[in-house]
Amino acid sequence: MSGGTRAAAGDPQRTGRRGASVLLVGVGGLGCPAAIALASAGVATIGLCDDDEVELTNLHRQILFGEADVGSPKVDAAARALAARAPGLDVKVHRTRLLPENAFELVRAHHLVLEGADNFATKFLVADACLLAGVPVVHASAVRWVGTALAVGPRGGPCYRCLFEDVPAGDDVPNCAEAGVLGPVVGVVAAAQVDLALALLDGAPVAGELATFDGRTGALRRRAIPARRECPLCGPAPRIRRIAPETYAAPACAG
Amino acid sequence: METIVRIPTPLRTLTGGADEVTAAGGTVGEVIEDLERKHPGIRDRLLDDKGVRRFVNIYVGEEDVRFLDGLKTALKSGDQISIVPAIAGG
Repeated sequence: MSGGTRAAAGDPQRTGRRGASVLLVGVGGLGCPAAIALASAGVATIGLCDDDEVELTNLHRQILFGEADVGSPKVDAAARALAARAPGLDVKVHRTRLLPENAFELVRAHHLVLEGADNFATKFLVADACLLAGVPVVHASAVRWVGTALAVGPRGGPCYRCLFEDVPAGDDVPNCAEAGVLGPVVGVVAAAQVDLALALLDGAPVAGELATFDGRTGALRRRAIPARRECPLCGPAPRIRRIAPETYAAPACAG
Repeated sequence: METIVRIPTPLRTLTGGADEVTAAGGTVGEVIEDLERKHPGIRDRLLDDKGVRRFVNIYVGEEDVRFLDGLKTALKSGDQISIVPAIAGG
């Protein structure tokens, strides 16, 4: 099926990683190490989207930030840290949550999106906006000592909704938010996420791969996820054809 | 026939902390029933009245059972079942 409007930034496979513009949704435990890895890989532009401020309890795993950054907006602190590490990198800050009102325009301005949000509503919003804009995305999440990263191509097949369908109600997912996450776990998951992202940018056939990490055993597994035939987003008869704000109304799974 | 079932973190409170358990059954559905007998409450976290809950994915080896035979998916000796719940955090 058509992936919707061709991404405004152009074809990532012709651009490759060095010319690429990558949007990070969430500059926290996953976004920080992912940003460092992307900068090291030589991408051209990183967009940072987050409305949070740095807190002391973030510092153990949100490795772009130091004590002097506590109280700063995360995107500003991250931009400062990245400028010091990679002066040639173009960093654009978007001090906002990703919202139904801004999602499509933000994602379509990039070659690829890294989704490291801490709540399901944003994950599904990113999935929908990226598919509608024809932008590949790698979704990642980590809770306690487990994490996952899923590579989604510009036309899905599979996409995030093939795997998880829709925003869960509050009591369906008991371990959100207060469970916390171990620093090294987000580091490994972010590395797997960026590995998939760079492969996508390089044109490698990793779309549909799900990496899962179990920090207790140290096992990092990759498996290919099949597309769901009746997926409402990327299937042949899609029901989701636009960003409808009420779709993402969900109990907050995290702060 | 006994099958190894890998238990994700959120469900380990029901298995006494075990990350791997064995259960008997010739199909995925039968294994879940045996899991329920050994670890009461686990079926409800995996299934609702329509089948596998949408925020849980059950794999036999590398295959999602949704794309095999669902709960009727037959198991062979040596198969391993893993459970991947949706998580959001980082």
